[in-house]
Amino acid sequence: MTIVRDFQLLKKHGFGLLPYEIAKNGSEAKKIARKIGYPVAMKVVSSEIEHKSDIGGVKIKIRNDEALEVAYADIMHNVKGKKIDGIMIQKMARKGVELIVGGKKDAQFGHMIVLGLGGIYVEIFRDISARLCPVNRTDIEEMIAELKSHPLLDGARGQKPINKKALEDVVLRMCKFMHDEEITEMDLNPIIFDEKGYDIVDARFSK
Amino acid sequence: MASKQQIKNLKFIFEPKSIALVGASPTPNKVSNVIFKSLTEGNFQGEFYPVNPKYQEITGIKCYPSISSIKKKIDCLMIATPAQTVPMILQECARLKIKGVVLVTAGFSEAGEEGTKLERQIKEICDENEIALIGPNCLGTLNPSTGADSIFLPMHKLERPKPGNIAFITQSGAVGSTIIDVAAYHGIGISKFISYGNATVLDEVDLLEYLEKDNKTKTIVVYIEGARRGREFFEAMKRINKKKPIIALKAGKFSRSAAAAKSHTGNIAGSYLAYNAAFRQAKVIEAEGLEDLFDFMKIFSQPLAKGKRVGIITNGGGMGVLTADAVDQMGLEFAEFSAEAKVKLKTILPSFGNVANPLDLIAEADGEKYEKGIEIMMDDPAIDALFIITLFQTPPMDERVLNVLIKASDDHRKPIACIMLGGAYTTNYQRYLDKYKVPSYNSPIAAVKAMKKFIEYSRFREPKR
Repeated sequence: MTIVRDFQLLKKHGFGLLPYEIAKNGSEAKKIARKIGYPVAMKVVSSEIEHKSDIGGVKIKIRNDEALEVAYADIMHNVKGKKIDGIMIQKMARKGVELIVGGKKDAQFGHMIVLGLGGIYVEIFRDISARLCPVNRTDIEEMIAELKSHPLLDGARGQKPINKKALEDVVLRMCKFMHDEEITEMDLNPIIFDEKGYDIVDARFSK
Repeated sequence: MASKQQIKNLKFIFEPKSIALVGASPTPNKVSNVIFKSLTEGNFQGEFYPVNPKYQEITGIKCYPSISSIKKKIDCLMIATPAQTVPMILQECARLKIKGVVLVTAGFSEAGEEGTKLERQIKEICDENEIALIGPNCLGTLNPSTGADSIFLPMHKLERPKPGNIAFITQSGAVGSTIIDVAAYHGIGISKFISYGNATVLDEVDLLEYLEKDNKTKTIVVYIEGARRGREFFEAMKRINKKKPIIALKAGKFSRSAAAAKSHTGNIAGSYLAYNAAFRQAKVIEAEGLEDLFDFMKIFSQPLAKGKRVGIITNGGGMGVLTADAVDQMGLEFAEFSAEAKVKLKTILPSFGNVANPLDLIAEADGEKYEKGIEIMMDDPAIDALFIITLFQTPPMDERVLNVLIKASDDHRKPIACIMLGGAYTTNYQRYLDKYKVPSYNSPIAAVKAMKKFIEYSRFREPKR
């Protein structure tokens, strides 16, 4: 399971990840959810599925055993015919601003970092800014300022501003991670920030 | 990538005491005839040796059968003969210790396998003998102050700019030629023009390093499609831009490769994003198109702005409002005139006039009012930059205003941008102002955008001011 391997490597490099485990069946799912503590999110784990939420492979805000049973059956129905490795039961992420922090190795310029408004609208709004690695905190401040959606990060509509220091740390960590592990492309998407810190909901990378 | 010595040897191309032209031809419109004419009819003052075994002389100028038969020191060799003849010529060049070569001929790596082989030979000979070579497959080079001109487009069709302090390096000959033609038309002076073609020996990074040390160059304009050494290109820009502003236009922003991406990041980050990141990180001034390039170039030879508070002076209310809209939209600040300036400004306004920013001198404004108004604004420490709107359609606006604008541009205390829009009468005036390097624009948006870039750059250069 690439996702487990990926998550473990990220953890080793100091990225803060939400507690999760992979369930092979319904009763395992329940056991894990109780251990992690409700509410949880459920996500199908399959190398055959690119956009999990598009086909109904993701259920969020599961609050109890009953809801989990229904959700489990639902996902299984939705992904029928695909080869799956299990269902990831993950602690429900905090509420906050959904960002993408990505990176890639450009053929000409080497490793670079991309910051943007994350979640399912990444490709639609393309509200992104980029810098070449290595970056410093000033570079990251400028990246944030360049986003059209930066007022969201500063606390629009009565929200508290996100913890920018935590965001800077993630970006700096990612530069180092990509360099050390020779990453060619990677996403932390979404990574959700609030005034305290962040939760990485999904991550993928390739070498 | 070239050696330090090869980069230094570019001086033989730009400041040659003697030039030989291989393949010189009397046939009109041939590349080698165009260069022949530019060198003999332009302002090149050094020795010139045409080389072609077919001719004894060309229009009365002695023609040599070979380079070795010249028997004088040659600083720069210009080559316009077919690709397959080039390696032999360069070997001769090496033997005679010629250190500067411009090779305009096409038919090398861009033409296929045979050409690629020839190009590799060229590189080997040049690197071994520390020859600085520009090209092949390029439009040529120009230094207006020495008349060293290898541009193969005729002077009557492509005007050569005057000497100035802007250097151009361009990957595309076609874009490069249009840029300098338009630059010449607008009176923009240049220090060096380099169309570098296939960049076999000297690439954009080498050229940037040369221009970094060239004391005639104050601003560098780069047209690039794809850098050969991205990282070094970035590092060079980052270093040089701190001393000399670099204005860059990247072409080929569209990319199909994103389709193969494995991640969201790969999908949204095409190859252009890396260039954009590099420019932003190096604080290089990125032009979105050719219009930007000219608009930005005009404004960058002025003194750095101390801040972003702008003053607007106009003789037409509406044009002032349009400019104010652009100022607001682009995030510049309106200056609040100092108390002293307000008192003085009141005296040049009609009794019902209001001292406000934009300062509206109304339609009765003439040269004298503009002169006083601009002087007061130049003196006012609360203003960092000036937009001077002059609508020449009103009766009192005549050539006296032009002298006021030239004076304002020569004042050198604050950057200015003039805005004027009109038909033949205004356009004539604008051409006149071009000659005196007064930055003028036909639209408030263009003027404000250019000023914003200049103010951002000023802040980068002198953050503490």
